[in-house]
Amino acid sequence: MINKKLIKDLLNESACSHNKDKKSSCDKPKPGATSGGCAFEGAQISLFPYADAAHLVHGPDTCLGASWETRATLTSYEGENNTPLGYCTNVTTQDIIFGGDKKLAEAIAYIVEHKKPKAVFVYETCVTAMIGDNIDFTCKEARKRFGIPIVPVHSPGFVGGKNLGSRLAGEAVLDALVGTREPKEIHPFGINLIGDYNVTGDMWQYTPILERIGIKVVATLSGDGRIEAVQTAHTAKLNVIVCAKSLITLCRKMQERYNIPYVSVSFYGKRDTSNAIRSIVNAFGDEAMSKRAEKIILEEEAKLEERLLPYREILKDKKAILNTGGNKSWSIASALQDIGIEVVATSIRKATEEDIAIAKTYVPILMKVPANEQAKLIDEHNIDILLAGGRSLYTALKKKVAFVDVNQEKKVSYGAYGGLENLAIDVCAALANPVFKLASKAAPWES
Amino acid sequence: MGELKVIKPLHVNPLKLSQPMGATLAFLGIKNCMPLMHGALGCASFTKVLFTRHFNDPIAIQTTAVNDITAVIDGGEKGIFEAIANITQKVTPELVGLFTTGLTETKGDDIKGACALLKEKQKIVYVHTPDFEGGLESGWALSVQGIIEQLIEPSVECNKDKVLLIPNVNLSAIEVEKIKESLDLFDFEVYALPDLSDSLDGHLGVKQGALSSGGISVEAIKKLGDTGHVITVGRSVKKCGELFKAKHTQSQHHHFDTLTGLVACDDFYKTLLTCKDWSKPPASIQRWRKRLQDTLLDTHFALGKAKVIIADEPDNAYAMAKALREVGAHVEAIIAQRSEVQELFTCNVSVGDFEEVEKALPLYDLLITNYHGERLAHQYHKAILFRGFPNYEQVGIGLRHNVLYEGSCALLCEVANLLGDHIS
Repeated sequence: MINKKLIKDLLNESACSHNKDKKSSCDKPKPGATSGGCAFEGAQISLFPYADAAHLVHGPDTCLGASWETRATLTSYEGENNTPLGYCTNVTTQDIIFGGDKKLAEAIAYIVEHKKPKAVFVYETCVTAMIGDNIDFTCKEARKRFGIPIVPVHSPGFVGGKNLGSRLAGEAVLDALVGTREPKEIHPFGINLIGDYNVTGDMWQYTPILERIGIKVVATLSGDGRIEAVQTAHTAKLNVIVCAKSLITLCRKMQERYNIPYVSVSFYGKRDTSNAIRSIVNAFGDEAMSKRAEKIILEEEAKLEERLLPYREILKDKKAILNTGGNKSWSIASALQDIGIEVVATSIRKATEEDIAIAKTYVPILMKVPANEQAKLIDEHNIDILLAGGRSLYTALKKKVAFVDVNQEKKVSYGAYGGLENLAIDVCAALANPVFKLASKAAPWES
Repeated sequence: MGELKVIKPLHVNPLKLSQPMGATLAFLGIKNCMPLMHGALGCASFTKVLFTRHFNDPIAIQTTAVNDITAVIDGGEKGIFEAIANITQKVTPELVGLFTTGLTETKGDDIKGACALLKEKQKIVYVHTPDFEGGLESGWALSVQGIIEQLIEPSVECNKDKVLLIPNVNLSAIEVEKIKESLDLFDFEVYALPDLSDSLDGHLGVKQGALSSGGISVEAIKKLGDTGHVITVGRSVKKCGELFKAKHTQSQHHHFDTLTGLVACDDFYKTLLTCKDWSKPPASIQRWRKRLQDTLLDTHFALGKAKVIIADEPDNAYAMAKALREVGAHVEAIIAQRSEVQELFTCNVSVGDFEEVEKALPLYDLLITNYHGERLAHQYHKAILFRGFPNYEQVGIGLRHNVLYEGSCALLCEVANLLGDHIS
């Protein structure tokens, strides 16, 4: 069942700073004027990276048809990797008339028998919520029958946006998995990584560094995640939220239930990565570890600077405008500054109050309506490069400045120290490319 | 016909795309149109992301953003009204294509009623496209039927030199253009409905993705009533031609299940010659036919021994299977949804998902399918040819040309070369 009270609580999360002066954090999507994903998509994004679990969508083929194998969330799991696979009950007219519970039970049985996953997540969708399928009961029965966690995720698209969906996914994990297994030993410096999905291996840019400092990743939600690990997540000493305010409720609840404090960090750019490591280490208050961390940060920063040297010369005095959404409005700005670029303006059109507050500390001009403002700003500030979504490409061509599509599914990681070099490579390539001036050249018969 | 298979209670790695997605593409082939999906915001968002990545271009689409409250009250008009008000505040669409999803069909919304109430404010074509029925092809075809029913004005005239091409959803922008050009050579005044050759052909223009960037104009659609010949390509759109003919009885309907391969193209040109009472087609077409004859012979060595499995929408799978069978290839087809065209395959054919593809793959040399087949092809060390939706890996999707004599040559050569490269 969809839990109305839970949804209301999630939307009014007390730990969200913006809720202090704003009545509702996640406004209802506006018909005819919205472009974001739904709650189901948010839930799926949050849980798909569990490669050892099957992800069964209980709904018509559409919900899955367009959404499987779309994200490069990497895993080191050696069994059958479920991340790029899609399971769907393919609800049809028959099921809508007679109910889809039986089909769901059969689908779960098929998956458990053929694929032997460590768990099955069952996603409720709009249609199966409307026809009132009893997913909780079917999952409970299956859990008894097969002896593995069968986790219902109540995130039909119509309850709200992507952000709410990832909150609901967090709730499902908290209720059904966290605290259901005791580890062999409890690490004194164990952490959970919350909200990093290891897209293009972002997480792997910094987890080896944390390990060298002496920190152990107990569980993740959900980059390179394992079901058995998240079952022991209650034994970690610290929750680390990586660029994902949507999962703050989960962290607050884990603090209340298991007394685990949390810190919120970003691993984009040199300064933020170093600060993230410090935040984590400081939370433990272990002097020897702090010293070790400082030494490693120094080493890593020096190594990075050396690798960035060839790009620094090209990027010196270059000016950029950034037009993207959410935490990227400041995290990418920070990363760009770290490779020596002056970020003149950033868009806050799709940012939360909290993101806006942080963005202010990085960038002088905040654009509320970037579509109208960015062209003018390019002229006024003699901008060299525009980093934005595909729709802004025309602005870049018209103004004859270089362009990087930051909303495209990225192919390489921009995360932590190592990723910063990738960002420098991509920005330098765009700056050097003659195509942005050539593609908009007037035809001989036009001039 | 394929043998009967045990029905699975689920799809594992689905091949199928939904009806609302087909409807979206159909409305994107109409100039200054806003496709408006009546469902939760995710339905439109998934569609937008898939086509944006597939075409590498901005995709215009909006949603009525049904929420937990509007999902259970009224007949949907509140969300539709609000959506139209919000859309028209920013842009001025010549047409809004309103189509439903599984959510709003389960609820049973009266979209016809809502459109009637909005009649003065915005021109709208409405279509019922629940996700739990049909698929990409039927969503496109139902939209075309809706447009024929609701937009085309009756005419007493019948212009024998005016032709309407109704392509199926699988034909690329350039394929539509090539067919139009070919009809042009026969001195026809040519229209395509929908016309992706003018919108999603990957051209550089002032496109912000707010509305469709090209296509057939609403004005031209209204005046299609005097069309002398309607040509449908692909079994999924045959009904559209029949509907047109029923409404405009003076017109003639010519249907072709495919325009790929020698036999299919011969049928096509034979019909055009009869329409025009000509004895021979223009010289360039004669020349391309000879090139195709030569290509058939040049490629038959490689393709005659090739084992090919195709997993795609029914019409496209049929077109490719038929063309490859002409050079003796051994073909099996797995199609995304049921279709009348299933009866016509002269090879094994079944409705299935990628789990079925994977089971069959070891027996084949080449896999022809969408992006989701890439992982399988690598895993089993098979050659892969990307066709169908989505294709996230490659560029130039809109420029691909595999119809008529010329495009058939390109397909056969591409497949033969691919197999050659793969073996060596």
